[in-house]
Amino acid sequence: MNDDEAIERSLAGDQAAYEVLVARYSALAHRTAFMLGAGDEAEDVVQEAFVKAYRHLPGFRRSSPFRPWLLRIVANETHNLTRSRGRRSELALRLSATTSAAAPDDPEGTAVAGDRRSRLLEAVRRLPERERQAVVCRYFLQLTEAETAQVLDWPVGTVKSSTHRGLARLREEVGNELA
Amino acid sequence: MNSREPSDDLEAELLALGDLLDVPSGPPPSDVAAAVRARLEDAHGEAPDPLRSHPPARRRRRARWKVVTAVVLVVIAITAATPQGRAAVVRILRFAGIELRVGDAQPKPVISVTPLPYEHTVDQDGLKAEAKFPVRTPKALGEPERTTVSDRGRVVSMFWPGGVRLDQFDGGLDPVLFKKLGPPWPDYAKVGPYQAWWIQGAHPLGYLTRQDGTEIPLRQAGPTLIWQQDALNYRLEGVKTKEEAVRVAASLG
Repeated sequence: MNDDEAIERSLAGDQAAYEVLVARYSALAHRTAFMLGAGDEAEDVVQEAFVKAYRHLPGFRRSSPFRPWLLRIVANETHNLTRSRGRRSELALRLSATTSAAAPDDPEGTAVAGDRRSRLLEAVRRLPERERQAVVCRYFLQLTEAETAQVLDWPVGTVKSSTHRGLARLREEVGNELA
Repeated sequence: MNSREPSDDLEAELLALGDLLDVPSGPPPSDVAAAVRARLEDAHGEAPDPLRSHPPARRRRRARWKVVTAVVLVVIAITAATPQGRAAVVRILRFAGIELRVGDAQPKPVISVTPLPYEHTVDQDGLKAEAKFPVRTPKALGEPERTTVSDRGRVVSMFWPGGVRLDQFDGGLDPVLFKKLGPPWPDYAKVGPYQAWWIQGAHPLGYLTRQDGTEIPLRQAGPTLIWQQDALNYRLEGVKTKEEAVRVAASLG
């Protein structure tokens, strides 16, 4: 069952069809909520987002893709959550413990690469909120400019400029040299 | 290294970094699907936007995967916010496009009066042309004295003599208005099959814009009934008692 069929059946009241959509996108929705700042409350955000998405399904434009539409709701829920906390959303990202794609014959090179990754991540974390959101969407979530615009509810021009400014700042912070 | 455009290198590094990040895996997709289904079935498709409590009430996540109705959630949130529960805790409840910020003390009243963004009076033709949703009038009140449209068709307000007004708006995904409340806590009510909340005292009312969450304090509002019906949000202000407000609300044509 593709997305469109699942949506059509969901609209007709078939909740099993909607479950297919939920199952299909729950991992991505979770990753998105987590990376946009929901942290350990990503699970709540995702559940809430799917409930809302179902209620708003009649307003979904069938000719457009479901994925960014859903992620927009996830982003919105995350935003509401972080706003209710009354502070800037935290980017609670860590490098996973197994990241060092270790080259056994080059321990020094491995260490340098690991250090650069940590510095880059730290620099992303310190970006102004808008730039950080743009960078997270474009690179960590690998969304297109158009998808990012839809998910963050910004004009495409704002996505472009925020990404550009974010990259410039990162370049300033960690330099251009590749490890 | 200098043969490539530096930004390309950086972009490639960021893409690679994204794959190396430690994102806790959520619950299994089938669990999420089951939990969502349970909530939807529970709401019978007619309940308003689920009300949400916020931290620390959102802590016991696993337990919440079980079926909990929107109403129960709200009642829990309100109970938790009472002074007996925990002092000075503010809960945020979202219902019918309105964010209720419930504190344990009376909020400072808003002295100024600010109109809604772009609010202007319209006649019948203007109303039809500008409102972004089908507008209804409560039969119990008759024709309004005056009708305004605000925020580019997003909010329609009708006014009757004696300070009675009905605001109707399409909240979309976000709350449009916020209310700051102290005790007494909002009172649960029903308008026909729809859930509603009755806020009996005067309270500060404000407007939240959609994009950046900027708040505009509007004015001190009188007693208000809020409810959601057919995906639209309604707030009836200025009717003196809950029973009368519910009667007016139920007459929406």
